[in-house]
Amino acid sequence: MTLKLHSAALALAIAVAAAPAAAQQVGTATAVNPSSEGTPPGGATTTLTVGARVLHKERIHTSPTGSVQLLFLDKSTLSIAPNTSLVIDEFVYDPASNSGHMLTRLTQGTLQYIGGQLSHQGAVTIETPAAVIGIRGGIGIFSQGAKGLQAANLNGHQSIQNGGGTKNTITGFMVNVPNWNTPPSDPFPIPPDFVINNINNLSSKFGQNGGVPGLNNLNTAGLPPGPWLPPNLGESDALQILIESTKLATQPNPPPQPPPQIGSNIRLP
Amino acid sequence: MVIALTATVSAQSASNFLNNIDPLFAGVLARPGNLDNTIQYAASAAAQGDIESAISTYEQLRFYNPKLGATRYQLGMLYYQLGSYAQARGYLQTALDMPDVTPELRQKIEDLLELTDKKLQPDQFSGFAQTGLRYQSNASLGAGSQTVLASGGTINSNFLARPDWNWFGTVGVNYVHDFQTQTGETFEASVIAYDAQQFSLHQFDIGLLELRAGPRFALSPGNVNGLTVKPYVVATGATLADAAYMGGIGGGLTLHAMVGNVSLDPYGEIVRQSFRNLALYPLASGLSGTLSTVGLQASGPIGGGLAWQSRIAYARASDQFAFDSYKSFAADLWLPWVFYWPTPWAGSSRWTIIPTAGVTTWHYDAPDPFVAPFTTAHTTEWRVGLGVEVPIWRKLVLGSLLQYRNATSNVAAFSYRDLAISAGPLIRF
Repeated sequence: MTLKLHSAALALAIAVAAAPAAAQQVGTATAVNPSSEGTPPGGATTTLTVGARVLHKERIHTSPTGSVQLLFLDKSTLSIAPNTSLVIDEFVYDPASNSGHMLTRLTQGTLQYIGGQLSHQGAVTIETPAAVIGIRGGIGIFSQGAKGLQAANLNGHQSIQNGGGTKNTITGFMVNVPNWNTPPSDPFPIPPDFVINNINNLSSKFGQNGGVPGLNNLNTAGLPPGPWLPPNLGESDALQILIESTKLATQPNPPPQPPPQIGSNIRLP
Repeated sequence: MVIALTATVSAQSASNFLNNIDPLFAGVLARPGNLDNTIQYAASAAAQGDIESAISTYEQLRFYNPKLGATRYQLGMLYYQLGSYAQARGYLQTALDMPDVTPELRQKIEDLLELTDKKLQPDQFSGFAQTGLRYQSNASLGAGSQTVLASGGTINSNFLARPDWNWFGTVGVNYVHDFQTQTGETFEASVIAYDAQQFSLHQFDIGLLELRAGPRFALSPGNVNGLTVKPYVVATGATLADAAYMGGIGGGLTLHAMVGNVSLDPYGEIVRQSFRNLALYPLASGLSGTLSTVGLQASGPIGGGLAWQSRIAYARASDQFAFDSYKSFAADLWLPWVFYWPTPWAGSSRWTIIPTAGVTTWHYDAPDPFVAPFTTAHTTEWRVGLGVEVPIWRKLVLGSLLQYRNATSNVAAFSYRDLAISAGPLIRF
């Protein structure tokens, strides 16, 4: 199997070298609300549909009612809000080593990046007019507008760099970046209204279904249980104390009768 | 192998790529509108700990129908698991407004929302309190009245097996201060207090207080599942028969790590204990010494609301008297099962059943001259129990525990049996 894969890889590498880069498929449109458009390099602008191939160097643009989710070969996704323009500028992925790199240029609007194999290697970059963001292992929401960039870190590490300096953020923090020449703000906790606004923004609107009708319910009873949360209330400690308390108050070594010089044999196991 | 699906080779390369990846993921790539496959992939990714892929896929489903509270709840749980509490809160809060939310789902959402709200505060308090009554068939953990000491004496009647009731109260409070830095430090403190007042055997009235506090450092900041380390101080105190009896102070070091879904907390601590002589225990000061413990607490999910928690510990007590010094090994296992069963009177439908089992062995350093002058005691206690929590009203439950313990020893005076049942209102906050 490995030999077969490497043979295929060699063939692919040769083919890639000879073929126009514009033809490389890097992912799939998994949800599309009209109107969302894609423009491959050298090609005509087309309206995206669910299942459409997403190509290397493709420019994506959404209208005021359009939104789209793109799934990439490394399992990462981009959810793209209305009024957004971006280009999938680079996407190279080697599934054998889970290496490569991805570069997305966000010109305007809002996107949510959810990491895959490439971001786990720290090989994902998002460029905006205000800053360049390096992503390691994570999830982020990036919104580029008239007031600059908002970069929210929902998981992992981000490095936000521009002509004014560099700031790093961890999960739960975000920065504002007015423009390329102004340093990113100090990281601050992501405010609730930012979260709610983006949950609503990165979503189908009334009457939309992402291009896939028929999802009327999600039967959670049939799904595996959700994430398990380690107990942290100290109840097992309390139970342990309940067990040990009697032991402490009594005597593992009962003193004989009559006394006097015997006795105290209490232990905390 | 560099995957680059060109127009000229797309059929071959796509085939190769799709044939060598998770079939469910391949299905999403090839036919994202296949709802059955997409839902299965989301669940499968979550179950395998691939949280990001699960989030991606539930986000995809949310595009298909943004009005599903179940999808938002799944997203809330997944973001919570990543430590992305603000985002988790957003999904949970908006899930409550969705039309498909059943009473059971609402309960789950509200439970998690409460935890999430705490996590978003710089100062986080959590804990529990319980009071109640406890009956023990052998409140003194004493041997039977026919037991004869190898030393030739008879057992002090205070320490013979006798039943009794007690009132007990216990409180546990955890405090976490999140410095909200980019390096992830927190300060943590916990206090557990316990008091029991016997109905008849007042010599066994006991009070306990245990305090632990220390900073926690993240070795990989930003990764909620990353390794953390916490040095801490520990202080303990106990009263017996309403008199100061024991005090201890020491320190320890604990780590926390998640390996898959398994939470691991190894620890080691040394506590210097000092005992005071009491009328009932005139030689209690001989128990003074150093108690060193290494152990591991671990827990994880099993499935269907069932989880496991365990604690194993090795302790070495180096006391003033050699016959009071010992090595012990203890292991306990809890299997909490949380399920939701309609309880119209309670405003909550969350029930918990907790089977427990444990064992402790003690190997003393020397024979006790007052009990068995020529036999060094080896004692093993086995215990099994069953805890049940019945919802009463919102966060208030009726917590009950049935426990049986049986100790056998090569020194007859150290053998005992005890059946205990306790019950009372328990509240979490």
